[in-house]
Formats: sequence, structure tokens, C-alpha cells
Amino acid sequence: MRLADREQDGVIVLEPKGKIMGGPDATLLHDKLHEIIEAGKKKVVIDLSKVDWMNSTGLGILISSYSTLRKSDGELKLANVTEKIQSLLTITKLVTVFDAHDSVEEAISSFK
Amino acid sequence: MNSEFIKIIAFTLTGGFLVFLAITIVRDNLVNRLNRITGAMLFFAGLGPLFMAMGMIVSQSPEASVGFKNSTLYNLQYVWELFFPFLLLFSWIFPENRLMGFRYSRLRNLIFLPVILHLFLLLFYRQISGLLGSLKVDANSEGFSRIILIPVERLFSLILFAIGSVRTYHTIIFELLNVLFILTAVYFLESSRRLVTNPRLLTQTRVVFKGIRIGLGIYLVSVIGPLFFQQFFTDAVTSILLVIASATGVGIFAYATIRYQFLDVRLHFRQSFVYTITSALLVGVYILLVLQSKKLLQPLFGAQTEIVSYSLIILILLCFQPINNAIDSFLRSIFIRTRTDHRSVIERFSRQVISLFDPQKLRQIIEETLKTSLLVERVYFILYDDEIEEYAVLLSDDFPRRLPLNRDDLLLRGINMLDSPTYLHSLTDYMENSKLAGVLQERGVRLILPMKDANHMLGFLALTGKVAGYRYSADDFNLLGVLSNQMVTALTNARLYVDSLERARLQEEVSMARQIQLDLLPSSPPTLETANISVHSTPSRTVGGDFFDFIRIDDQRIGIVIADASGKGMPAALMIAQIQAIIHSEVNNGNRISTMFNNMNQLIAEATSPEKYVTIFYGELDVTCGELAYCNGGHNYPVLARADGKVELLKTGGPLVGALPHMEYTSTSIRLNPDDILFMFTDGLSEAMDKDEHEFGEERIREMVSTNRSNSAQEIMDCILNDVRMYDPTYPPRDDTTIISLKLNDMLVPHE
Repeated sequence: MRLADREQDGVIVLEPKGKIMGGPDATLLHDKLHEIIEAGKKKVVIDLSKVDWMNSTGLGILISSYSTLRKSDGELKLANVTEKIQSLLTITKLVTVFDAHDSVEEAISSFK
Repeated sequence: MNSEFIKIIAFTLTGGFLVFLAITIVRDNLVNRLNRITGAMLFFAGLGPLFMAMGMIVSQSPEASVGFKNSTLYNLQYVWELFFPFLLLFSWIFPENRLMGFRYSRLRNLIFLPVILHLFLLLFYRQISGLLGSLKVDANSEGFSRIILIPVERLFSLILFAIGSVRTYHTIIFELLNVLFILTAVYFLESSRRLVTNPRLLTQTRVVFKGIRIGLGIYLVSVIGPLFFQQFFTDAVTSILLVIASATGVGIFAYATIRYQFLDVRLHFRQSFVYTITSALLVGVYILLVLQSKKLLQPLFGAQTEIVSYSLIILILLCFQPINNAIDSFLRSIFIRTRTDHRSVIERFSRQVISLFDPQKLRQIIEETLKTSLLVERVYFILYDDEIEEYAVLLSDDFPRRLPLNRDDLLLRGINMLDSPTYLHSLTDYMENSKLAGVLQERGVRLILPMKDANHMLGFLALTGKVAGYRYSADDFNLLGVLSNQMVTALTNARLYVDSLERARLQEEVSMARQIQLDLLPSSPPTLETANISVHSTPSRTVGGDFFDFIRIDDQRIGIVIADASGKGMPAALMIAQIQAIIHSEVNNGNRISTMFNNMNQLIAEATSPEKYVTIFYGELDVTCGELAYCNGGHNYPVLARADGKVELLKTGGPLVGALPHMEYTSTSIRLNPDDILFMFTDGLSEAMDKDEHEFGEERIREMVSTNRSNSAQEIMDCILNDVRMYDPTYPPRDDTTIISLKLNDMLVPHE
């Protein structure tokens, strides 16, 4: 997994690419989130359009990110959830937990 | 050859050796005060016998000896008495430097005063007595001269008398003074010897002190003896004793220097010393032989003496080379045996550490090598500590307290950039606010020896100065460089070995965990009158995250569990064990299914981090009437294929369990009928992939269950497993796979 990040309207947009599999991916995302929190930012959107697959550890990373942000009064939203990940979120019933949007813009505007 | 001649030879030889040894020691290290003082001491000790020999040579010719005893040259021989103050000075700085920190250290030069006075007296006595005696006052004079000069004249004559008596008895007075010097020096030597801890230095002092004691003891006997046994201590006896005394001195000092690195004299200096002396002796013997050959051969060969003598000389010269070689190899073997040669140090060290895997033992050997071969006073290890993931100072192996260092410590960073042994004082740029610098300086560390492999620094050694104030030489730096490479290899080996032990231990742990998990899983599905149950389970690693269970709740109801913990291996297995315990205790307490899930979620979420979770489906089947109460905690939907071909998915429940606290779970009840099939699985089945990475998918599973619904539970499962094996040639899969296939039969009595 590679991780790009940018800031748009005061919201940090993270764009992971490839498979989210755990191991180094977890550390990468974890460190990035802590960086963001330390910089005082609290609104984060993870753009999943370029993530083709996610295993159970990958899902764990998403949950962990969500929980980390919540603990520091932040909020995590998902954007461009692919069909496969959507079905994963549905089965695990995490759709009730994660706020998922069809586009990054929609996710950003939902913060307001 | 008379006895006088032998005495001259003996005096010259011992005196010459002492002077030569003195020069060797000073030449090796002119900067070091200990070398200079020892050199001066031995030099003046050598002057004694040399002057004595010279005196004997001169007095052999009767014309020259007249008046010789009063000549300046003769009196100069007392210069050798400077030996005694230098001996005292030596006792102050070896083996411990006691002068360091002494405020009035210049006062030490006062100890030379007696000898200088003695010389002054002997050399200028005539001038002094002439000067003092020249003042003669007329007894009848009046006024000024009577009042002032007469007391002065009295005083002068008194001084003259005093000096005269000293002059007359100077030998005995100054010999007693020398005895005083000796006793004081021996006292200091003995008391500072108790402070020595380094084993090599201890040997040095033992040998050197023995030499000093024997030499001085014999000297004392030759000085004090004549006072009481005048008849026995003739001149001949005294001179023999003096020869023995100085020969013992030179012998032992040379032995300590060559064999035990006394004064840390470099190997080639020590070698050249021995070679020079042996070759001088050899050549001397040769010259003697050649000179005397004619005289020895004369009675045997008469007229032919000339020819025989020449051929003998040629023969002897031919033998010179082999004899020289024999001596050479003999000496070489001595030096190799002393084990102070750097090559042998390295060889011995690598032989010792090559098969050593105990890090503590390894450190001991490194420390011992540095202390005995390089005479380092103390050694500190600063090594990367895997447990705390920081560098730490190991203060002592006897007392295993370690001093952790911050990885941002400035000095640590500075040392990280080093490649070779470096003096600590050249790193002052890195010392500000450095805890490490404080620790090292406090302990008198002088030298840093970094230990690096290709990628990173394992740590470094901090060495204090050498014993007795010896200095590190360029040779030492080379040796340290080579040794540090060897240490890196040895330490890495030791660490790898410990790691491999650790791995073996972990492997054992994993296989134990697997056994525990196998014991936890039911060995076979329960046999029921109203339903057939088939189970398939393949953990993808030694210990998997999948889990299933059947729990007899009462005569009517049976609990069915299928679950998949996130991750694999040990952590997953541990969580499974925890889940199983929770379910069993909740069932025993008779809690409702939704309460069980709420409790389970809360317990796991609190005990583990968010990425540790479990998807779990739990159902309670009433085996008499077919009622199924269930809750699905984020698990793949179990497929319920009705006998009429309709497919239902069991979705009711809540999110996956254990990730986030305060989740709400609900349960529901459905009615199962005869010939209905309940097919439960984990994502190992649905996520099996073909070569293009397309998933097998849940849709396909539903269709296959429905299509094959007329078959038995086992047949349906086998059919799907065959299909997935064709779909994914790599099956058994990357993930664990667990399947529970359940089919109800006609024995079921549906409640109306």
C-alpha cells in the first residue's frame, strides 16, 4: 500500500493505493494519523477509490483509525468505497459505524 | 687471565647492559615520564659498575694510578649515586602515580640535593678549603678586624672542620643515606603495590619488585657487611656482591620488560634489545676464541699451529650463520610464548570467541584480552539493548545494572559516525548536555572503540587509560581496530544464537497453542436425531483464527458457534480461547443471546486494540421443533436454503465483535423445517481466488447450496469444496476456512 495525503477545505484527505493488508500498512497509516492529530487536525477522509482489496487486518486498520480519531475528538469519513469493500462493510455491519460517501467532495461537505 | 680481568669484564658487561636497557626504554617512549624515570634510574645504576671497571683498568698501570684517587675523573664516579633518588622517584609513580595531584610536586627535586652536595664536596673540596682557609686574621689587630673578622674566621674554621670530617667519612655517611633512600623507596613500592588490580600489571610489579629487592638486598649486604665483618668483606668479595646485585637488577628488569610488557615497551624494541645483546655476546665470544686460539693450540700442534689455527678460524666462521639462526629461532619462540605479540593476541582472541555464544562470557573474554594484552585499566561496554530498544551502558557484569541512553544523545550520535578507535577528548563538539559524556568522563574513559557491522552500530567499548600511565601507541590502535571487527562478528553470532533459541522457543509455544486450540475445538460434530451436521476446517497456518463449537445447553437446545478472528497465528488463537470462555460462561449463566453479544463485545473491546476483533455467528437450535434463535456479529451471512428452493440469509445481529465498545446487538428467531439446509462458512471459502484474483464469492456459494439442496449435508459441503479446489488451485487457502453444513430431517416435529 502507498499513502498519499492532501488538505482540502481544512479536511485531510488520505488516499491509500493498492491492497490494505496490515503489517507495515498498519504502521504507515497509524503514524500518519498521529501526525495529523498532533498537527491539531481532526477531520479526515479516507478515499478508498484506489484500494482494490482489503483483508481482515486491513479492516482492522480502518477500525483502529476510526477509533484513534474518535479518542482525540476527531472524525473519520470514507469516500469512494468500492463494491467489494462496501460488501465487507455491509457483512460486518460496520456501515452503521462508518460514514461512507460516494465522493470526496460529498464527504468533505458532510463535515459542515 | 687473572681475577682482576674477569672482574673488569663482569662490571663492564652488567653496567653496559643496564645503560643499554635504559636507552631502549627511554627511546621507546620519550614522552612518558615513567619511561624517563626508569631509564634514568637504570642508566645511573649502570654507571656504577662501568666507573668501577674503568677505575680498575686505570689502576692496573702503576704510573697512572698515582694520584688517580684524587682526580676529578675518579670522583665523578659518584654520579652513579643519582640512582637512589631516581629509585625513590620511581617508587612514587610505579605502579600507581602518587605524584599526581600533589600540590608541591616540584619539591620532589629536593631528593637530588644530597647526591649533588656529595659530588660538589668531592670535586671542589680543595677549592673550598683553600677559600675558607685563606682568611687569616692577625691576632694582634684591633678595631674592625678584631670585632668582625675573628668570629668569621672561627666560623670558617668550624665549617672547614665539619666539611673536612664529612669529607673524611663521606663514603660511610652517604652510603647510609643511600640505605635510607632504599628503605623509603621499598616502603612506597610495597604500599602502592596493594592498589594494583590489573592482572598483567600485578605480574609486572611482582617480577620487578623481586628484582629490586634482591638487587638492593645484596647491595645493602655489601655496604653494611664491612662495618661488622671487616676480615670477611674484602674488596674482592664486595665487588663480586656488587656485580651480582647489578646483574640481578638488569636481568629482572630486562625479563619483566621482555616477558611481561613492563613499561609497555613495543615489541620491536624489546626484540632489538634482546637481539643486540645476544649478538654482542656471540661476537664477543668469537673474538675471544680467535684471539686465544693460537695460545691454546700451541702445545698441541707445535709448528703446525699457524695452519691449524687458520683452518679452525674458517671453521668457526662457517658455523657462525647456523649458530646465529639457532639463537634467532630460540628467541623468536620466547617472544611467541610471551603472547604479547599483536598477531598472537588476535589469533588467540579469535580462537577463543569463534565458538562462544554466551554474550556475557564473550564480554568477559573481550575485557580480559584488553586488560592483559593491551594493559587497559578498565573497560566499559555500551551495547544496543534489544529489550528496551536503546543503547545502554553496562557498568559491570558482576552487578547487572544498566544505564539506558537516549538515542538522541549527542555524543552517541557522534560516536555513531566513527569508524576507528578515537580519543574521547577529540569528540568535545558532541559533549554538550550529553548524559553519555558525563558517564564516560566520570569513569575516566579515554578511548572509544566503535563496533559497527555493515549497516549499524552494535555499540562501542569505552576504554580508560592504560595501567601505570602507559600510553596507547599506533600499534595499539591497529590492534584495537582489528579486535573490534572480531568483536562485531562474535557479538553478532552470539546474538543470532540467542535469537535462534528464542525462535525455537516460540515455535514450541505455537505448537503448544495449536494443541490447546485443537483440544478446544470439538473433535466431531454432535449426532442428532433430527439433523445431520458436517464440519470442515483447515487452518491456514499452524494456529488459525477460525473457530467453531457445539454447546449442549439442555435436552432440547444446542448452541452452534462459527467465528473468525482478525489476523492469524498466536494472537488470533488467544482471542479465540477468550471468546470460547466468554460464550461458555454466558451460556451457563443463561443470558439472552443479545446480552451475550453485548458483553462479549465490551470485554474484547476493552481488553484489546481496535484492530483485534472477531466476526461471530451464534445460533441456538431447538432440535425438537427446529426453532433457531441467532445473532450475527459481522460474520459472513449463513445461507438458509429452504426445501422449496428459496434462499434466506441470516443477517440479524450487529457489527463485528470487539473492535469498538458500546455496540448494540439484537437477536431473532426463525423456524427451520425438515430438509432445510443451514450452511455456515468463514471468509476463507468466499474469498478463495482464481488466477485472475477474482473471488469465489458468496453468490456462488448460495447458488450451489440451493442447487444441491436435495443432497445430504456432507454431500453439499464436498460438492462446494470440489468446486472451490478447481476454482483456486492454491487451495488450501491463504486464509483459514471453516464450514458447518446442517440439514434437518423428517424426525423434526414442527410446532404448530
